[in-house]
Amino acid sequence: MTKTPRKPRVIRLDQSGDNKPDSHGPDEPVRQRKPRAQKDLAKLALIPDEAAQASAQSGSDNIADALTPPPPDPSRKRFSFVNVLLVALAGLVSLGFGLTIDQLVRELFERNTWLGWAAALLTLAVVLAAIGIIVREFLGLRRMKQIEAMREKASELVKASDMRAAGRLVDQLMTIYQSRPDTARGRTKMESHHGEIIDGPDLIRLAECDLVSPLDKKARRLVLNAAKRVSVVTAISPRAIVDIAYVGLENIRLVRQLAELYGGRPGTLGMVRLARNVIAHLAVTGSIAIGDGIIQQLVGHGLAARLSSRLGEGVVNGLLTARVGISAIDLCRPLPFMAEKRPGISDFISDIVSISGGKEREDS
Amino acid sequence: MNSITNLTDDALIAFDALGDVARNLVSPSLRFGVTGLSRAGKTVFITALVHNLIHGGRLPLFSAQASGRLARAYLQPQPDDDVPRFQYEDHLKALLEDRIWPESTRAISELRLTIEYESASAWNRTFGRGRISLDIVDYPGEWLLDLPLLGKSYEEWSKEALTLSNLSNRAPLAEKWHQKLKAIDPAGVEDETAARELASLFTDYLRNCREDSTALSTLPPGRFLMPGDLEGSPALTFAPLDMPEDATAAAGSLHAMMARRYESYKSIVVKPFFREHFARIDRQIVLVDVLQALNVGKDAVIDLENALADILTCFRPGRASWLTSLFSARTDRILFAAAKADHLHHENHDRLERLLSHMVDKAVTKAKFAGAKVDVLAMAAIRATGEAELREGIENLPVIVGTPIKGESIDDETFDGKTETAIFPGDLPENPAKLLARGSKLQSDLNFVRFRPPKLDKTAEGLTLSLPHIRLDRALEFLLGDQLQ
Repeated sequence: MTKTPRKPRVIRLDQSGDNKPDSHGPDEPVRQRKPRAQKDLAKLALIPDEAAQASAQSGSDNIADALTPPPPDPSRKRFSFVNVLLVALAGLVSLGFGLTIDQLVRELFERNTWLGWAAALLTLAVVLAAIGIIVREFLGLRRMKQIEAMREKASELVKASDMRAAGRLVDQLMTIYQSRPDTARGRTKMESHHGEIIDGPDLIRLAECDLVSPLDKKARRLVLNAAKRVSVVTAISPRAIVDIAYVGLENIRLVRQLAELYGGRPGTLGMVRLARNVIAHLAVTGSIAIGDGIIQQLVGHGLAARLSSRLGEGVVNGLLTARVGISAIDLCRPLPFMAEKRPGISDFISDIVSISGGKEREDS
Repeated sequence: MNSITNLTDDALIAFDALGDVARNLVSPSLRFGVTGLSRAGKTVFITALVHNLIHGGRLPLFSAQASGRLARAYLQPQPDDDVPRFQYEDHLKALLEDRIWPESTRAISELRLTIEYESASAWNRTFGRGRISLDIVDYPGEWLLDLPLLGKSYEEWSKEALTLSNLSNRAPLAEKWHQKLKAIDPAGVEDETAARELASLFTDYLRNCREDSTALSTLPPGRFLMPGDLEGSPALTFAPLDMPEDATAAAGSLHAMMARRYESYKSIVVKPFFREHFARIDRQIVLVDVLQALNVGKDAVIDLENALADILTCFRPGRASWLTSLFSARTDRILFAAAKADHLHHENHDRLERLLSHMVDKAVTKAKFAGAKVDVLAMAAIRATGEAELREGIENLPVIVGTPIKGESIDDETFDGKTETAIFPGDLPENPAKLLARGSKLQSDLNFVRFRPPKLDKTAEGLTLSLPHIRLDRALEFLLGDQLQ
């Protein structure tokens, strides 16, 4: 950091009107600059605040104590023969596959030219589809990583006062939600803050309240509905295997819906990754969630179970779904919970139990 | 220093507090103290606050407003009939139509703003009134300087005033008064002419100190500069005398006369102000114009720091509970605001905040210890400038754009008060402690220019858009947010 103090100076604004907003490269930290005089007015570029904010350089990307502990990554640095084996096998299999197709096409050409052409076209379609799938998966994964990065960045920025980086983050968020009509109101609100001087942490909290919290309400409803369905189905399903399958399906569906709600586009790979993260996150936050709702859980389970073990299982499965939902919200939300309250198991428990309760009365 | 209140004062304050509590049962109100030395922008702050609340201005961080819970805000007749009303409409007209800042306040005035709101909690919605009145008091900043006098005897004050006037930056201004002082014997017979002459020379000296070029802040007694209807009365005709250490005032001497008048100044002028307006404040905002002092140099900043330290000893911070509030009002939230932050580019705001926190550090610690909540903020109640960047090669110079007031100058260039200009006022020092450390070099690479109020666009219906500001909403959230929950 250089230490050259800047002198006060004045610049006349006669022809600044036609100057375009200017964006510039990485911004150096504020320092003291040397005094100078500048009479050439054409050099002055009026910069709206958002451009200034957008042009700032980002800070460091990772902090150890992010609000949501990042799910533990399986150690992948170590050299593994299994990996070599798998990669080599996969290579061989695809080579064999290519050879087979090649042979097939050739044989078809020998047999009949148009059959050969048809096979070639089909092969092309297969290749194109494969590329399409790969691109989509890749984009989905990238979006997921982007959202993860935003969340970490936000929890870091909320402690620092970096107005520009915060502005950039909010702009990024706005881009993600650009195509979402349900955030229109929040986006208009956020856009009206451009050019205002709002501190970084405040700006991020504002974005959370205006842009993300309407989605939170929907997320809550999604989780609640899924939990209700799970508990009802468990309570009335004739066989254990049915409700196990249903709970699994419903949970996967819930996670996907939540990811889509918050702006993610998980493909198959993304879904696998997300599901893995959700489970890992559940393990990390599980103890907190239990502490949060342990009494209600016990009471709910105890009461229901005394009346009927099936109902008790329904409640428990419903709660499990709610917990998976909360965990997925944590992972899919582009901002951590700062201004808003993080939903807890207690937000869902009364609804889940009341359904079972309702059924109970009908049963007895 | 002695305590600034005695038993009688405390009894009277307790009596007032009891009255306030009784009144609060009928209509809940909050006494909102806007404190600041002269030219710190108290009047502008009050005007901006009232305008933004009445017209639903852009206050995204003021949660009650942002979530739409504020039903409406309107002005009401104030509770104290003996205090003039704050001329909100006139000040607003001056700001919006003539684009000039309101004239400096000459007398005390008061305003009651009633806010109707929807409470966020079900309990308050059911049992609360959903209405709160803000009583806002505006007064000349000079009066504030008197408060520390309450704890000082005449002799103490004399000595302090003399020491101050002998400082290198003040001595030339006080020359005439010093000459006169030498010719006078404090133990001599009391003499009205001499007293008058001394007082007027002393007043001249104080007035000189306040000029822009010196911008000194520690100038008690404040009423000398802003006498109002007491002009020429004995209570305002006294001055410090050069007395030996252990001099006692013999009856009939000049010393005794001056001391008596000093005491009556305290009891006639300072105490009522303290008791009626200062001791009853629930929420306090302290506006400090750091930039003006920085403009002049280190001495002015140190002087400002001392003046603030003196004033802040008169605060009564503490956690307000229903029991203590029966007997004495306690200020439970204090906000220190570095006013006129719009005269700086926002990348320097952090440094401005740091500088102010450094200056009021002791008061903050004391208030926090007493249980009050304290915050420090760089703020502009009305934002008169925009921001831009000047591109020069690889460097970008952050500048502010606005219309400087006529007669202001920078870099050998004087402004006509009409042209919009981009200004780079200099970088604030990174380390406030270094700037204020005695013996350090005077920081001269700063030049803050005052700007005219902003030109506001009107909507198609002819309505004026809300007044722009910097962090006014954060200030409001801190000061009022909890009351509107």
